[in-house]
Amino acid sequence: MEIYVDAGTTWTKILKVSENEKKYEVIPTRDLKKLDLNPKKATGHSIIQAQNYENEVVALANGAKKYLEDDFIALDLGSRDIKWVKYKNKKFQDMDWNSSCASATGATVEMLLKFYNVSVSDLIYTKEKYSITCGIFGLEKIMDDVSKGLEPEIAISKFVHGIAYNAYIFTKSPEKICISGGFCENKCFIKCLEQYCKVVPLGRFVLVDGLEMLINQD
Amino acid sequence: MTKDIIAFWGYPEKSLIKKTKNEYPNAKWVDLDIDINAPDLKLLPENYCVIIKNIYNNALFLKDKIIKILAPIGKDKCDSAYFASEILKEAGFCVIQTIFEDVCPDLTKISVPISKSSLPLKEKIELITKNIVEQKEYNYLKQSNPRFGFWGVPPNDLSLLDLFPDGTEVFGWCRAVEAGYPGDYRIETYVDKNIPTIFFTQAFCSKTQLAKYLANKYEGLFIDVDVSPNASIRAKIEAFIKLR
Repeated sequence: MEIYVDAGTTWTKILKVSENEKKYEVIPTRDLKKLDLNPKKATGHSIIQAQNYENEVVALANGAKKYLEDDFIALDLGSRDIKWVKYKNKKFQDMDWNSSCASATGATVEMLLKFYNVSVSDLIYTKEKYSITCGIFGLEKIMDDVSKGLEPEIAISKFVHGIAYNAYIFTKSPEKICISGGFCENKCFIKCLEQYCKVVPLGRFVLVDGLEMLINQD
Repeated sequence: MTKDIIAFWGYPEKSLIKKTKNEYPNAKWVDLDIDINAPDLKLLPENYCVIIKNIYNNALFLKDKIIKILAPIGKDKCDSAYFASEILKEAGFCVIQTIFEDVCPDLTKISVPISKSSLPLKEKIELITKNIVEQKEYNYLKQSNPRFGFWGVPPNDLSLLDLFPDGTEVFGWCRAVEAGYPGDYRIETYVDKNIPTIFFTQAFCSKTQLAKYLANKYEGLFIDVDVSPNASIRAKIEAFIKLR
């Protein structure tokens, strides 16, 4: 069996390929060390020391190619970083990767949901958004507004809208963005991003698919 | 303590270098732009160009040994260097301000054999900066067929350059220095559009404006680094090189 691992900060995505089937799994990254995995190829912030490590953007680009046409922008929004890659006429065109300030990505939303005891399904699209150039200031606004009586789910939704807007600006305001990562399952985020461009959710396993494709290319 | 160092930053005007060499034939030349592990005296704001911080830290660390500082303050360097030259004067240094804004009369005749050579990028940058004082000829170097370009100034942390394949062509201020025209905007902004290029600046340097603009224009990759490249910057360069 071949195993491919994308070990993010919070969640680890695993692809197991055997002769007859492909199996995808998601486990908390804190449990990764308990498993005796010997991945054929690995990527992600939490497994950077792996011998057969692959750059995350390279994995993203290859994984996205499986799902997409010749021209695309694939954005991976993770727990602690955000990265995207653009292809035009099947050729790599542009990219960016911001992990120096990741306070306003997945981990922050998860923490907020836990802190205010709100379910991700309770988040709803709000026209208003917080400006979250700095995630810490964003948190401050949420706490201020909640203390003034705003429902926490509305405040977090405004925060998520801010993340969606930032993602759109970070990718240079394209017409269409293909989303990879856990935010694909956040309906509020998708709806917010759809206010700015077309959105194609690709799911959480784009990077592990990319790892498999790289092996097959080799 | 004997004073035996001629300190400088940037690229002092050539005739001044020559005159100073004749005046002090036995002096050691120290480039204050380069991190020599001098103690950080924290004289500048935290968010400030690390190269200017190097200038202050190195100058004050070597103060007892410095004969004089040759201090470029024109378009060939930057306003921050001008302010540093005035402040270091007040701190008791002998500072000779220089402006080296000559422009190349014929761009078709510029000679940049180091920038175009097949050497590893780090060696190229070190050679270019060393040659500010040495002024040797390098026309014998084997020329490269480059897959990538590096645009910018010598990074504070030269290990950044190890990420590039050998033969990466040098553009930007480094190329202008090698050409002998550090203040020539046309040379500094020249890029071969057929070579995928990474546009580098030190964070908080005014050249970030130029680097970002050129990266967009030539579909290159813009990176700015403060003291040392973090894992994200390294990964960005690696991805760009693998995918392009």
